[in-house]
Amino acid sequence: MELMQELIEKMGTDADQSLTECLTARAKIYAARMRLQHTVDQADALDAIREIAANLMGCEELALYKVDHSKGALWLYWSFGIDPNTHAVLDATQEAALAEALTGKVMFPKQDRTGILLNAHNPVSAIVPISLSEVVVAVLVIFRLLPQKPSLDHADREVCQVLASCAGRAIGPHIPNVGTGESTCT
Amino acid sequence: MAKKVLLVDDSSTTLMMEQMILKQATDYELVTARDGFEAIACAVENNPDLVLMDVVMPRLNGFEACKHMRANRELRNVPIILVTTRGEEEYVAAGFHSGCNDYITKPINSRELVTLLHSYLGE
Repeated sequence: MELMQELIEKMGTDADQSLTECLTARAKIYAARMRLQHTVDQADALDAIREIAANLMGCEELALYKVDHSKGALWLYWSFGIDPNTHAVLDATQEAALAEALTGKVMFPKQDRTGILLNAHNPVSAIVPISLSEVVVAVLVIFRLLPQKPSLDHADREVCQVLASCAGRAIGPHIPNVGTGESTCT
Repeated sequence: MAKKVLLVDDSSTTLMMEQMILKQATDYELVTARDGFEAIACAVENNPDLVLMDVVMPRLNGFEACKHMRANRELRNVPIILVTTRGEEEYVAAGFHSGCNDYITKPINSRELVTLLHSYLGE
């Protein structure tokens, strides 16, 4: 509840945003943070990500990749709403947006779509690097949004930042070390 | 006396968001339930002025819970607003066929949510 109070108090200082936009954004950020902070195991953590993407951002097509920094490869670890065979392995050396995401930056690809992932039939809405102890351990790719959601707005981008900074504590300890390059899809 | 709203969703994320929005923008008293069966029991016990209910839930979904509430003498006139990620025409039709009064799609927008509830409960 202290976090809620802090967010409520900060609302009063957001003079530039309309009250309702501010309220939506703060509510989304609060819900995302609280959900990620209270996960109990890996399954719950993955469910939290799915809930946040679907209920707060408006996306039911997402994929989580574990990172092999030595090879610049991303191996599909978990997905929801997409064909897991379509992008089972991603090569960050061939995708500028992925390479930049591995530096820790949340990416919102533009329409020009360069690279294999971004040229795929399923549009990419966001690429979220998930960090643990300042190391990117996983990458969450958010694909097509629901029909009633034309694009990610300011609040959604802040939720992506929450995922980037908080999801690592929930899922990071459970992602196996990348050694053999095997991917595990659920 | 403050109006009472029953929030029903199996997603704690959605419940947190709805609670935060409504606590900040309204004076409604809020109660929560996590699935259709719990919603019916909670509605009978608390006699809410409005039910805001998710559709896809375990044990008993929102459509079925809505039908049960409409069959209950004490709940048949309570406004029920269904919440879902699915906004397709057939889904909306199924919702109204189950007896709901209105429909709102996820992700929820605070302005839309508050305006809709105010239209049924007043400010």
